Amino acid sequence: MRLKLKDLPEENIFSSGHTACAGCGAAMAIRNIAKVLGKEIIIYVPASCLSVFNGLFPSCAWTVPYHHTVFENTGAAISGLSRAMKRKGLDNVTVVGIAGDGGTADIGLQALSGAAERNEDVIYICYDNEAYMNTGVQRSGSTPHGASTTTTPVGKLMKGKQDFKKDVPLIMMAHSVPYVATASVSFPLDLINKVKKAKETKGFRYLQVYAPCVPGWGYEQSKTVELGKLAVECGMWFLLECENGQLKINREPKMKNLETYLKMQGRFRHMDEKQIAELQESIERKWEFYKGYADLTQRLYSGSEASV
Amino acid sequence: MRRVVGSNYATSHAVMRARVEVIAAYPITPQTQMVEHIAKFINDGIMDCEYINVESEHSAISAVIASQAAGVRSFTSTASQGLALMHELLFSAGGLRLPIVMGVVNRSVGSTGGIWVEYNDSMPQRDCGWLQMYVETNQEVHDMILQAYKIAEDKRVLLPIMICSDGFILSHTVEPVELAEQEEVDGFLPKYEARHSYLDPKDPIASGIVTPREYRQEFAYQIHRAMLEAKDVIGEVNRDFADKFGRDHSGLIETEFVEDAEVILLTLGTVTSTARGVVRELRKKGKKAGLVKVRAFRPYPAERIAEVCKDARAVGVYDRSVSFGVGGPHYLEVRNALFDSDVPVIDFIGGLGGRDVAEADVRSMYDVLLEAAKTGKAKRNIEWVNTRGVVLG
Amino acid sequence: MKEIILHGRGGQGAVLAAQALASAAVFEDKYAMAFPHFGAERRGAPVAAFARIAEGRILTKAHIYKPDYVIVLDPWLAGLVDVAKGMEGHEGTSGGVPMGSVKTDICQGLNKKGAAVLNTARPPDEVRLSLEVCVGTVDATTIALETLGHPATNSCMLGAFAKTTEEVSIGSIEKGIMDVFGERLGEGIAERNVKAAKLGFERTEVGMCSGGREFPAQKKWLPDVDELPPGCAIRSQDTEYGKLGPGSTVQNETGSWRTFHPIVDDEKCTYCMLCWFHCPDGCIGRVPDKESVSVDYFYCKGCGICSEVCPVDAITMVREVEG
Ligand SMILES: Cc1ncc(C[n+]2csc(CCOP(=O)(O)OP(=O)(O)O)c2C)c(N)n1
Ligand code: SF4
Ligand code: SF4
Ligand SMILES: [Mg+2]
Repeated sequence: MRLKLKDLPEENIFSSGHTACAGCGAAMAIRNIAKVLGKEIIIYVPASCLSVFNGLFPSCAWTVPYHHTVFENTGAAISGLSRAMKRKGLDNVTVVGIAGDGGTADIGLQALSGAAERNEDVIYICYDNEAYMNTGVQRSGSTPHGASTTTTPVGKLMKGKQDFKKDVPLIMMAHSVPYVATASVSFPLDLINKVKKAKETKGFRYLQVYAPCVPGWGYEQSKTVELGKLAVECGMWFLLECENGQLKINREPKMKNLETYLKMQGRFRHMDEKQIAELQESIERKWEFYKGYADLTQRLYSGSEASV
Repeated sequence: MRRVVGSNYATSHAVMRARVEVIAAYPITPQTQMVEHIAKFINDGIMDCEYINVESEHSAISAVIASQAAGVRSFTSTASQGLALMHELLFSAGGLRLPIVMGVVNRSVGSTGGIWVEYNDSMPQRDCGWLQMYVETNQEVHDMILQAYKIAEDKRVLLPIMICSDGFILSHTVEPVELAEQEEVDGFLPKYEARHSYLDPKDPIASGIVTPREYRQEFAYQIHRAMLEAKDVIGEVNRDFADKFGRDHSGLIETEFVEDAEVILLTLGTVTSTARGVVRELRKKGKKAGLVKVRAFRPYPAERIAEVCKDARAVGVYDRSVSFGVGGPHYLEVRNALFDSDVPVIDFIGGLGGRDVAEADVRSMYDVLLEAAKTGKAKRNIEWVNTRGVVLG
Repeated sequence: MKEIILHGRGGQGAVLAAQALASAAVFEDKYAMAFPHFGAERRGAPVAAFARIAEGRILTKAHIYKPDYVIVLDPWLAGLVDVAKGMEGHEGTSGGVPMGSVKTDICQGLNKKGAAVLNTARPPDEVRLSLEVCVGTVDATTIALETLGHPATNSCMLGAFAKTTEEVSIGSIEKGIMDVFGERLGEGIAERNVKAAKLGFERTEVGMCSGGREFPAQKKWLPDVDELPPGCAIRSQDTEYGKLGPGSTVQNETGSWRTFHPIVDDEKCTYCMLCWFHCPDGCIGRVPDKESVSVDYFYCKGCGICSEVCPVDAITMVREVEG
């Protein structure tokens, strides 16, 4: 049965009084994801904005067991936690790692890949705010083309990030894990039902959630949800779901209004027509790719739950 | 059961007997056989344990920190580059007070080093909040893995521990080892009961939450104090082990002929065995030579060293690594231990990159010490043993 | 040597202001330094920055404990805003890091002959602090909203500082802003900030405030070595210092961060739950009896998302006023 907003509990797993910026997309994502996951969970958080805004010792926003050590080891740490739960006979407990895009796409990619290859029984959630926000907005592998960050600044010679966004969900699909999905804070029902599905699946589950960041992207703080919607509309973010090898596109993007999306944000304000055209071309190619990938995997894997 | 095995096998057997529940490790020469033996035990069904085939040492230590934080007895092992890769997380294990046991098979790390023994992998880790013990025989490796859990899990300690053994010299040398039976070990090492760190939704704990400056210094002091208390615990556990197994490894240090010794050499690791032979030989010749095998490097038994060396006329320190521009790290510890003594203390750096330390080398160290005892001063404080183009003494 | 503490919120630019102040002093051939409180605070959370100005080289690298001047970028921080509404049942103590909201005594350690420069709409004689002291007041939030479009009050308050203390001239403040803001934010933005500083200088009123106001002592859990849980593994507990461990952020009064607050029109609300879902801070409560929602102002940071996502415009954002 599909979850509705009214089905989510009033009680918080991720408490109020956390210290995320006003309007933080990551906080919006995480507190709702936690509500779907419930109390029988253990959370691992690597170095990230979350590791700071979830409270500093001795305070903590999580009402469930919480573990944190370093930045690049989420995949490994949740593996250790999950095995420990197995030893303790706590089979009903879901181990969940929640990392930023930097901790996922860059420095933590190796540990993530290892855990996925071993098909560890865990949920890995990447909240994607498209840069290293905790350290003050530096570029990550997940930063889109053109975006200005403090390490891809707008200079006289080069303006913004020259490279393109790393497609981590696709990398995860290539690991043939049982469940890979993308979601966005701006599509609540899609998000909570993907979390629910992830919770009900066994093995390695990967979810990447689009989470706008007010200071990092440079927009008016009340626009978090609107930006997320625009991103999906223009193709800067896709809502996808790959179950046992079969890719499904959850929402057809209109593939338009890219400029509206870009102009709302300080990080893209410098972009000229040429750069925008490059970006448009890249997302169109991506969209074609995903359509083809979905068709192909529907044919290849339809009816087969096993052997991905 | 007595079998002729290498130290990697001895370690693996002890880990199995310690009823370790989560292991994550990654292969690296000369530790590789350890991950292989354990995998075989598990696949043969004689060991019941979660084994995580991680993709790096960084992940190995991350995973066992997590499992130990969750309240489950955990083990990892590595060497050299692997230990260097773990470095970042070693501070987490110490900071979170997790009694993880790690088998370190010493090997040189970095460029111009090969795959052979040197302590420049473990020595730089001495400030991470881990206990460090160095061993001399395969039997001792086996016994110390069992003791390590009991030391680390003692509530006065609650710190991770490295059992350091010389690569190849122990790992790839087979010698007779008395391999413990399960009942014996069960009578010595109780099941691990996590009291301070466990992760269970029924009683939620925040483990490792970022700590602001208002608290760090007190946490650091706690670790320092636990490290000091570990000195007693190491001795107690050794006696308990000796009672149950009949093998006494004598705790923090072990001494030979020190009572009336004029010169004393302090060693770490397998060089001790060679030195034992040389000391006996010297004694036969009427030379008053003594030997101290330093077993614990963290905590460092400074008081014991000072006590043992108080009547000596020259003290030598064997170092299998260098703190460049200063001398050997072990030497610095001994200088500190003997801070109020005016006896000459001489550092002997040698055996780097697995270079053999032969009887002749040890003899040359004693020669230098005997000379210093005679003159009352050291010609040089830092000596390089068997180094081409560098004259000793 | 003159020592200055700037109290602000993440995003208001306290650190940048301290640097611009130091730069301004250096334009007057003085020696100066500026440094942040080295925290990990996000936008909106209370932050402090420090500045020192002297004729010759300054040696100390320690924090400032006895400032000659304090500059308060946000009226909440000086205890000038009372949030009575919606606060019932909340205990605003803090386990570890003080949230420094209405409970902070900004005059702590302040030199009696010094001054407090405050962002407030009130004239000096309507301000009551713990100390009877010279104050300069200016409605910097309004000026910032007018000149910059968002409540970054830092530059405006530098103007107010120049006017109140006469330690540096407004001309030097302008140079300092161009130097520091220009480098970081670009010339255009720096120029608008210069304008805000000038307006701040012009509109500041200087006078004496009344004293004797009592602030409850900050309760902070600072246990001795033996009482700290080994390895910082901390379970959920209630102490006289408030809650510790899992779930304890509920005592953090993040409501003190906001400039605007939402008002819900029960008549219009269709109980669709969108604001309930989208509020990043969990401030929207369901009120089934009324088929409407409530706002928990103790936590509400005033982001305005609830108002944006409401499909029937049942939520409006209203500027916070000093109570
Ligand atoms: C090994 C290591 N390198 C660098 C850092 C500094 N660091 C902490 S968080 C962070 C960026 C986090 O970015 P992301 O994962 O995207 O999370 P976000 O802060 O954006 O939420 C960096 C670079 C670190 N903690 N550890
Ligand atoms: S910097 Fe961005 S991601 Fe971090 S707390 Fe603020 S809004 Fe959230
Ligand atoms: S303004 Fe609305 S969405 Fe923002 S914190 Fe307040 S109640 Fe929540
Ligand atoms: Mg990020």
